[in-house]
This record gives sequence, structure tokens and C-alpha cells, in this order.
Amino acid sequence: MRRAGSRWQAAVSGLRGFIDKIKPTFSEGGKMAWLQSTFEAFETFAFTPNTTTKQGAHIRDAVDMKRSMITVVIALMPALLFGMWNIGWQHFSLIGGQSSFWACFAFGLVRMLPLIAVSYIVGLAIEFAFAQIRHHEVNEGFLVTGLIIPMIVPVTTPLWQLALAVAFAVVIGKEVFGGTGMNFLNPALVARAFLFFAYPTHMSGDSVWTAAKWWGTDAIAGATPLGEMMGGGIRPSASLLDMFVGTVAGSTCETSAIAILIGALMLLGSGIASWRIMLSVFVGGGAMGLLFNLIGANSYMQLPFYYHYVMGGFMFGAVFMATDPVTSAQTNIGKWIYGLLIGLFAVLLRVVNPAYPEGMMLSILLMNCFAPLIDHCVVAANIRKRKKRWVRAQTVGSGQRVAGSNKDIK
Amino acid sequence: MDGKIKIHKGLDIPIGGAAERRTSDMRLIKTYGIQPSDFVGLTPRLDVREGDLVEVGQAVVCDKNNPKIQLTSPVCGTVKEIRRGERRAIEAVVIEKSEEQKSWHRDPASLQSREGIIEAMIDCGLWTMVRQRPFGTIANPDDNPRDIFISLFDSAPLGPCPNWAVNWQWLAAGLNALSLLTDGKVHVCGREVQSSRFKVQGSENIVFHEVSGPHPAGNIGTQIAAIAPLNKGERVWTMNPQDVVTLGQLVTTGDYRPERLVAVTGPAAAHPQYYRITPGASLGEVLNGQLSSKDYPKLDAANGFGTRIISGNVLSGRKATLDGFLGAYDSQVTLIEEGDSYDFMGWLMPGLRKHSFSRTFLSGLMPKNWFTVHGSRFMINGFGFNFNTNLHGGVRPLVFTGNFERVFPFDIYPTQLIKAAIIGDIDLMEQLGIYEVEPEDLALCEYIDPSKTEIQAIIRKALELCRKESV
Repeated sequence: MRRAGSRWQAAVSGLRGFIDKIKPTFSEGGKMAWLQSTFEAFETFAFTPNTTTKQGAHIRDAVDMKRSMITVVIALMPALLFGMWNIGWQHFSLIGGQSSFWACFAFGLVRMLPLIAVSYIVGLAIEFAFAQIRHHEVNEGFLVTGLIIPMIVPVTTPLWQLALAVAFAVVIGKEVFGGTGMNFLNPALVARAFLFFAYPTHMSGDSVWTAAKWWGTDAIAGATPLGEMMGGGIRPSASLLDMFVGTVAGSTCETSAIAILIGALMLLGSGIASWRIMLSVFVGGGAMGLLFNLIGANSYMQLPFYYHYVMGGFMFGAVFMATDPVTSAQTNIGKWIYGLLIGLFAVLLRVVNPAYPEGMMLSILLMNCFAPLIDHCVVAANIRKRKKRWVRAQTVGSGQRVAGSNKDIK
Repeated sequence: MDGKIKIHKGLDIPIGGAAERRTSDMRLIKTYGIQPSDFVGLTPRLDVREGDLVEVGQAVVCDKNNPKIQLTSPVCGTVKEIRRGERRAIEAVVIEKSEEQKSWHRDPASLQSREGIIEAMIDCGLWTMVRQRPFGTIANPDDNPRDIFISLFDSAPLGPCPNWAVNWQWLAAGLNALSLLTDGKVHVCGREVQSSRFKVQGSENIVFHEVSGPHPAGNIGTQIAAIAPLNKGERVWTMNPQDVVTLGQLVTTGDYRPERLVAVTGPAAAHPQYYRITPGASLGEVLNGQLSSKDYPKLDAANGFGTRIISGNVLSGRKATLDGFLGAYDSQVTLIEEGDSYDFMGWLMPGLRKHSFSRTFLSGLMPKNWFTVHGSRFMINGFGFNFNTNLHGGVRPLVFTGNFERVFPFDIYPTQLIKAAIIGDIDLMEQLGIYEVEPEDLALCEYIDPSKTEIQAIIRKALELCRKESV
């Protein structure tokens, strides 16, 4: 044990020595200075830097952007692994063959890996290039975005379309605004929307959701629960339990409510995602569903409200996309409003809009646009309060005021 | 009229090395320094030259903009050196204490009126300990402040709380003197343990508030916000409790005896304890024996490798060197290990000994044992936390929001205020409440920020911008 430990230490210090040795080549004035941001990205990947605090707080919290992002990536793992298995399960169910758990998983893995690889390679290449041009460090935001994009597209998405969508999302959705932290639309949803509007035939209909052949699609594939409801069904043919577990057709990794909920627990437990947003999306969606239940004009409106939670991308959107800290509302009150409206609009779009089966994507993108306005109104209330207090102080005059006591600062 | 204030938002950082209840007398220290940079907005003008003899309370430096404001010598001695830094700015006036000491004295009978007290405080230099909000500058003696706020406790990490050593009679005398300086109230905030010992007879304008809750409950800014928030154009004054005691002694006996109990704290301190010193003491002499011999050879006064010496607390203190001096407003020195080493895959490792407000490290799942000392909470867990000055990551744009609000007990939107401060929009900053805060009030936001933004520097710069605009 001890020897293994010292060997490990030797390996780590050897790596550190190697990095220190090649560092000058990549630094200002070195031969490969044009790759400085790339080098730094890999260096800080291997070692948390030795920078110390210069001014202000002398000690800092151990959390940084890398840690935050990797926590989200870990939270995505249950949904990703389940999605891989489900791709195989759907495939083998369709072609009628019997298959083991591992066969299903292996099939899904083989279908999923190219999507993930293309997403990361295209996206990171653009990110690195932009970081280099700006002389910035490479931002970690794409670690999450690059994984989410292949998780929310149909498994049959052609790789070249995915590559285009990722490029569009990173450049137009993020970098033109100045990179991570400056964008106002969720980049993963920008990619999804790009695919949806640019290649509608590849993104809708019943055939795209299941990998029937090894490559490409077959016309006999099963419909998604949302597709069935759009087609005028009374209830989705899959049971509530099937949809909760996720053994239904849909985008690669969005079908399993339970896997996504495990991820949600990780996000909330680690304090990375806002519980206010998550909860209010469910409340908003549920409220709209209940309202439709009361109206009950057609079979979709009569669908019990909780079905919406487990159908399509509602759960995935609520947990992983609505909570994106960059594009969501930033005030606590604003977060409630933002989440409620996402839930409301998602169900509204599903039920009354004949064109789009899935309302979650458009609903979140819409509220991304309104998040700054919501925040503005919330902050304006605070500003008005401060102004009123000032006016009151002017009229009462200094020294005359009675100071409050027994105050509880919440 | 006494009230209770409960602060819910905040964070007590579980750092080790609290000062033991033991006091050493260090008033024999030879070297003292006056550092004009300790005073916000002061433009120094020298009143002495190297080699001059000075007495206690004799002006050494005064403010060019308001010559009434003068920094005085805390001891009798000789001006040994005028230390200058970049662009010949005065870094410190170094005074060597002489064998014979005289005290500054005035007839106590002349110290019973507003004018008398202010005149004496200015003359002996105690006035520089009175600071105004907003901006944190030395108070202007011609102002009539809305209120005066005194915080009897320090909730910052390892903040000193020498209740047993406080002369409560002089404290009461000092508060009574302060109540003459304002038409408003003197608000005194203390912990529950202090409320029983706090008895002031005399002025009805002195109000005691019992404050509970985590840091920043002890910050003046938090207390002002909870009691009567500051409006644009209003001014309040504040003083550290030990200086109120000095003031009490001054008005009672007529003697000015600047003295301070200073806590040497921190995980890198060999014997965390209290010292009785004269303000402005040389840190090298105060810290004699505190830095273990293992670190001493590594200690380079110029860059402080090995151990970082902080005058003040770890959140908002000033980085100092062994040839420097205790900060004018500080009653704490913190010693902490420099974190200038690499951490292999630090972003991925479980992190049993890393402290984080978020629960992204395994340390966040460990059982916690809290205990209370002098009303401040401390925590130990099975592994202990390893604190050093490492930044723990790279600087990024402000991304994660919603966390600042959890450690910032003001009716202010911190994220929006910080953004307004970055772009330097004075109108917007005023609307969002910049006058209600000092950089130290946002120190916890800076601590927990995963983007590693230097929030306190941003707020200081913004406040300076507003101050220059308002003159």
C-alpha cells in the first residue's frame, strides 16, 4: 500500500515536472504561444493552479468553476447511462429479438459515443479557438453543454447535423455575446432548436426516436408518448410506470424520470442548482395541467396533470436546463416567477399548439429571453423601497427618527 | 428600548487557531509605525522629519484636505525612518520608543461637552479612530452624525472577543461621551453573553441590541442595516469597542493611554493568544516566537513565503510583512500557510479537508460538531479543514448566482450591486444601496464565489468613485 502510494506520488511529481519543463514553449514568447489557452486548459485540468490570493479575502472556498461543472456532469450520469441502455432496449424491442441487459447497453453505447464525441470535439475546438483569440482561459461551461446536447436529440440524428448544431450553439448562442456567463440563451437548447427548425424531418415524426437499423431509421418505429397525445390519443400507450422508469421512445437520455430525479438530488444536495427554479417549474406545469383538466375540452386536456411530468423532456428540462445559472433569473423572487412560467408555457404549448409536440424546449428558450426583464422588475421594487425610505427620512428629518428594534432579518 | 436582532444569513468559517484566554504584556515593544494607507481617503502630509523627537499625541502626519485630522504618535520617542513606497508615497513613519515616557493629559473637567471632547480627541489623535459610514473614512468633526454605532463583538473568523479584559466602567463612560456627539442614538450591539455585563447609566440615547447569528452579524454594516439602514446623504459614525474604552479613560481620568488587546490567531500561529500592546506596534516584535522555527528561515519579509501574515482577519485583513506594523483599526493578527502549491486533479478529488459553502466536496457530508466560544460558533469535523491562501481555481466571469444572497444579510441584491460596481454606474449603485455597505460586508460573497472575482476590491473602488463624486 505504502509503496503504491509513493509510486503514485512519484508519477504525479513526474507529470508536474514535465508540465513545468514544456510550459515555456507555450508561454508568451515561446514557439507554441498560439496554443497557450489550450495548454493552460490541460495544465489546470491536471493540477489545480498554485495561484494565491492577492487582495481581498485571503482564503477562498474550495469550489471553482471546474468543480461546479463536474458536479453537473456527474449528476447527468444516471440519465446518460439509462439512456444508453434504453436505446438498445428500444432497438431490440422493435426488431423483435431477445437481448440481455448488457447487449442493450452495448448497443446504446455504440450509438451514443459518436454523438458525444462529435459534440465535444466540435464544441471544444471552437471554445479553445475563441479562448486563444481573446487570450482568456478556456471556460468549463462546455463540459456540461457538450454532454447535454447529445442527450436531448433523437438517437438517429446524423452526425453532420449534430456538428452543425453544436457549432451554431457555441458561436451564435454563446461566443458572440462574450462566452460563458454572458450568453442569454441556454446553448444546449439553442442547438436543439437549431436542429428542430433546420431539419424538421429528422427531428419529428414517429420514426426518428428509435435506432431500428444500425444506421438510419425504419418506418415501423414506435411513437413517443407526446406523439401519441398529439395524434389524438386518450392516454399514451405506455403506462405511467413505464414513463417514470423511462422504457419508452424519446430523445436519447430524457425518458427516465427516475434517473433524472437521481441527478436532481445530486444537484440540490451539492447546492449547485436552484431548488426554487426546479420546484416552481413543476408547480407551474402542474397548475397548467390542472387548469386544462378543469376545462377538459379534448382528450389531451383531460390527461391527468402528472402525466406531463413524465412525458417527453419536461423532467430533463426542469432539472438540467431551466436551472442553468447563466440564463435563468438571478434574483430569488425572479427564480420563482421564471420557473412557474416555464412550467405553464411548457404544458400550454404541448396541449394547445398543433405544430410542436414538445413545449419544454421553446418554453425555456422563451423564458431565457424574459429572465432579464423579470429580474429588472424585482430589482426595481427594491430600488423603489430604498427611494421611499429616503423620502421618508427627508421629511422626518435627521435625529427625529425612531430606530426599529426587535427586527428579524430573513 | 433594548432589542434583539437575529441574523439568519451568513457563514462561520471553521478555521482553527482561536486565541486562548491568555494575555502577555508587550507594551515594551520598541518600534512603532504609523501607516497613512490604513486610513481611507487620507492624503498624507508629513509634520516631522527623520530624527525629530516626538511625544505621545504629537501630530506626525496630517490630512492635506482637512489639516484638523492628524495621525499622532502613540509613544514618546524618535522618528527613526520615513519609509516610502512606490512613487515616494509615505508607507510608514517609524518611531523608536524612548526610555522615558510622558503621558498626554488634560483636565477631565474640560471633557464634559461636545466641543471639549472633540477638541481633545483631535488633539491626541484618538479622533482618527472614529470612522464614518458611508465610505469608511475618518469622520469629519464638523458633521452631526445621524447615529453612532458600536459593535462589541467581532464575528469574523477567529475574531477576538476579550470580554473578560474589558473595563466596562470606562466603556460606559466612553459611550456616554459619544452620546454627546450626536443628536441621534448610540446603538450598541453585543452578543447575549455581553448583555448581562452591559450596564450604562446616564444618557437615555444609548440603546443596546442583542445580536445572534453567524458572521457577518458582528459587522457594523449588518447591524446598521438591521437597526436603521443608511439613506443617501446620511452619515453615521462608528468606533471599535477598545477605542471607546480608551475614550472612556480619557474623559474619566484625562489621560490618553492608547492601548489595545490584540489576538494573534490562525492555524500557523504557534501559540494563539492575546497581547496587550500600544497601537502601531511592529509586527516583527509582536510575532516573535509565533512563527515556528520550521517556517522562519523560509520567511522572506518582502514576499512572506511560507506563512502569510495578515493584519486583521482572513476575510478582510491586510497582507503584512514582519517589518510592517499592526493596522490602525486592527485588533487581530492572523497567521496562515501560503497555498502556493499545485493540487493534482483538485477539481475531481473527494476533498475531505477542503472547506466549501457548496456541498460539492466530501467534507460537506461529514458530521459536524459545533461549539460556541464567546458567542461565536466554531466547528470541528473528523478530518479538520486545511486552510491556506490558495485561490482554488481560475478566475472566470461571474456565473453562479443565488449563492451570494445566502451569506449577505442585507436588503440589497448583491449580484446586481457588484455588476453595477464593475461598470462604475454611480446612479445605479446608489439605487442599489452602495452607501449601506463596506467591502468587508461582501467578504463572504468573495469567499464563496466560484468565479474567484475580487469583490472587495471592486466595492472599494466603487465607493471611492462615489466619494470623489460626492465631494
